[in-house]
Amino acid sequence: MDTDHLELKGHRFTSRLIMGTGKFADTPTMCEAIKASGTQLVTVALRRFNPDLPGDDLLGPLLALPGVTLMPNTSGARDAREAIRAAHIARDLSGSPFIKVEIHPNPHHLMPDAIETYEACKVLAAEGFVVMPYMPPDPVLAKRLEDVGCASVMPLGSAIGSGHGLAAAELLRLILRDSGIPVIVDAGLRAPSEAAAAMEMGCAAVLINSAVAAAANPPAMAAAFAQAVQAGRAARHAGLMPRSEMAVATSPLTSFLGAAQ
Amino acid sequence: MPNPLPDWLSPPPGIKRPEFCTERDVLAALAADDAGPAELAALLSPAADALLEPMAQRAQALTVRHFGRTITLYVPLYLSNYCSSGCVYCGFASDRTTPRSCLSEADASQEMDKLKQMGFEEVLLLTGERTPKADFEYLERCVAMAATRFHQVTVEAFPMGVDEYQRLSQAGCAGITLYQETYDPEQYERLHRWGPKRDYAARLEAPEHALQAGMRTVGIGALLGLSEPVMEATRLLQHARHLRSRYWRSGISISFPRVRPEAGGFKAPFPVDDTFLAKLIFAFRICLRDMHLVLSTRESPQFRDGMAGVGISKMSIGSRTTVGGYVEDRAKSAPGGQFEVSDQRDITTFCNMLCTHHLQPLFKNWDAAYRDAPPRAAAAFTVCS
Repeated sequence: MDTDHLELKGHRFTSRLIMGTGKFADTPTMCEAIKASGTQLVTVALRRFNPDLPGDDLLGPLLALPGVTLMPNTSGARDAREAIRAAHIARDLSGSPFIKVEIHPNPHHLMPDAIETYEACKVLAAEGFVVMPYMPPDPVLAKRLEDVGCASVMPLGSAIGSGHGLAAAELLRLILRDSGIPVIVDAGLRAPSEAAAAMEMGCAAVLINSAVAAAANPPAMAAAFAQAVQAGRAARHAGLMPRSEMAVATSPLTSFLGAAQ
Repeated sequence: MPNPLPDWLSPPPGIKRPEFCTERDVLAALAADDAGPAELAALLSPAADALLEPMAQRAQALTVRHFGRTITLYVPLYLSNYCSSGCVYCGFASDRTTPRSCLSEADASQEMDKLKQMGFEEVLLLTGERTPKADFEYLERCVAMAATRFHQVTVEAFPMGVDEYQRLSQAGCAGITLYQETYDPEQYERLHRWGPKRDYAARLEAPEHALQAGMRTVGIGALLGLSEPVMEATRLLQHARHLRSRYWRSGISISFPRVRPEAGGFKAPFPVDDTFLAKLIFAFRICLRDMHLVLSTRESPQFRDGMAGVGISKMSIGSRTTVGGYVEDRAKSAPGGQFEVSDQRDITTFCNMLCTHHLQPLFKNWDAAYRDAPPRAAAAFTVCS
């Protein structure tokens, strides 16, 4: 397991838990949760960069965290041109080659726009960004995004902030079956057990935000997710017993047939 | 003759009158997946009074789920108090003796600089009805000035057509706020005695014009106290749902202004007390889980502290309802405000309160990158490498 890295376009991470930074009650709690999670990759919205007012800024405190790579995101963009503009500014300000493409034109349900996401990813990948698109759980779109050079795909498990877990599990399995790039579940998870289940399915990582930020004790919940992700990954490596619709007896009833022969 | 209501604002069929709603109806509304006008009626009924605490808890849980433990902050800047309308409840009505003024562009620039120094990144520019002193071109220039300083600029002014809203958007305006004041056409006609604001239909159509022009956000509301509040709330909910379904790329927000004391001494014919207003906000959060619900400094510190994060997700602070008033020298000579501000706390005191409630104040929750993105070229994204 020592060589089990999450690899994204040549960037390697030993942690497979990616943390979001929105919705926290205060910045120190957010930083404590990030530390407790052991994460090495953190996403932050360009709209929360505020160098003019340090107390309101997330970029500064995140840059000061040792061992953490930033992945700015384009949350708030309504279309590809806005996301591309945001990506350029975020790279200039953060110095990070990573960009999480988030295009959700409807600010109420926050569902990603597949068409605009594809267009933005095509341009940004060609420009050399490490592109990580937040996307609907669509196996066809996942392959299209892989084809244009994305570093990973990040399908939602269920709606952002909903806590409905892996409601899209069947579609995620189709994406996982054929994907040639890491599949990272982004959005919808509520409990560490769901993160473990995603890793057991074969996901390369999970991204958690609301489940930690809205917990009664965010750092403790972040630590619990870290353990769940490790357990799920270890279980995947250990080889899960196949499911069966029929009972499989530990002492087979037909063993006597072999003995008779 | 009052204007007829559009179909989408007609009374929904089969809804119980609040006095006939039972505790069972309220419990069903609390558990509903997609609460609408029928559930709103139950949540605003007398039967809901005994369930106010569960309503508050549900509202808080839904608010945290979508907005996290945060409150987005904004600040209003009154550019002008000239007005051509005769709204009976407004301190800026044209028959009030309030001295009139309009910020020169140099003064407006100073006020904006001061607000920027105070830390704000979302500013709401306000005027009265369209006048020669503060016409569309003046407002457009002020928006452009503000857009060079603030990440988010919004406007609360007079109803416009799609063309004018498009121009405002191009100048840097991200959204508008326009309250219908009252959704009751007959009461509307009585309260709006003269001037362009007498046109109920023009006001009702304006938010759609803004959304057709591509505005990102539209804020709507009713001035609580002007008409029977359950009817107002029902139509406000219908309005929000109508806009949400037709203009799916934009955000709709709801404000809950109550009639406040003003220079003309207007008394609200249907006063709304704190308990009913709280119930109304809880009910709207249960019905509209993912829209910003906004509470201004019209309300008392005690009420605002209690509602922050419990349904409410966006608040103003440090507000002056006088023309300008943030630059000290001008504040001393500023004429009376549109209404009395109830929460006069400074930003630090208010933010400290939010922190003690485990809520993070957000000054910047947007980025000008989205406003300033270059227009889409016809073939910009059509070539796959």
